[in-house]
Amino acid sequence: MKLSKQSQAFLEDLRLYLFTSGKNEHEIEEIISELKDHLKQAEANGKSVDDIIEGTPKEYMQRIAGEMTLDWKSWIKYIPILLICLLSYDTLSNALNGGIRISLLELSGNIIIFILFSLMVIVIFKHVASTRLSKTTEYTWFAIIGGGPIFLYIALIYLDRLIATPIITFTTTGTIIAIVLAIAALIGFSIWSKTWITIIIPVILFLPDLILNQFQFNESLQSVASLVITFSALVGYLYVVNKKAKK
Amino acid sequence: MSSSQLLKGILEGCLLSIIAKGETYGYEMIEKLYTYGFTMVKEGSIYPLLLRMKKEGLVTTTQKQLPSGGPKRKYYVLTDHGRTELQAFKRKWNDISKSVEQLLGKEG
Repeated sequence: MKLSKQSQAFLEDLRLYLFTSGKNEHEIEEIISELKDHLKQAEANGKSVDDIIEGTPKEYMQRIAGEMTLDWKSWIKYIPILLICLLSYDTLSNALNGGIRISLLELSGNIIIFILFSLMVIVIFKHVASTRLSKTTEYTWFAIIGGGPIFLYIALIYLDRLIATPIITFTTTGTIIAIVLAIAALIGFSIWSKTWITIIIPVILFLPDLILNQFQFNESLQSVASLVITFSALVGYLYVVNKKAKK
Repeated sequence: MSSSQLLKGILEGCLLSIIAKGETYGYEMIEKLYTYGFTMVKEGSIYPLLLRMKKEGLVTTTQKQLPSGGPKRKYYVLTDHGRTELQAFKRKWNDISKSVEQLLGKEG
């Protein structure tokens, strides 16, 4: 017998909640499969997930999480990997926009945005997973995740123009080597993590500009169009991922 | 102390006793509890307790393939430490229940 949609959604939310709480992956899968087994039998006897969990979903998730061990060690390995991805992405972005010239402010700003973005993802996903929200509220949160970094990057670009910091400039050969390394890192991550995200995100972010560059639009129209395309593609991508994850 | 807190301590002792009678899994434990009249217990509330009991070394678990196929099922067995805890719970419960009965009996 297949599990009801409601039970499946609960299990997926619980997995996300425990994952964003820094719990051990193996332990997460163990409790999820145990609860799945229980829910299957309960549903066969005409009960629903509401008859089974104690209190609100959030309270129940908190109680489960409270009994599980924290496992930041397995999380920490993601930080350098994600940072390399971010720097690769940034290298590509710079290379496409007329050569690699990184100011110290830009470099440190990128790292700060990365940290802020990671914290935002953890907090928002945890909130969305543990609370029953309307679809609109849920998508508003995802739009914030998608739009937040874009907003921060724009702020960083303006700040970079206002404040002068030392600049590192790459030669043409250096740029080519950097592009190759960056693409290799993104593809490598995609294979390692078995997800498309590190390939899809740069495509979403760079392809509109590359294509729009072929036409003779005026500059402000082009930058607005590229932002709109990028932003809607990101929201669309998160929507698809979320749909898939809930299945 | 809220009634749910009181219940949790008792529930842990009862789970020890159920698991002591032989290898068992979550849904079966709940069914046994219900046949003894523990209908005030929400089914899901045993899992946080089982997680803690495993962490404290009172039980060990094994994943077993079901003959009907499908996903594996998690079975619980009592450890020696679990057995000692069960004996301690029985003694404590006898003392408490005797006192409560005597007190209520006098009042009633």
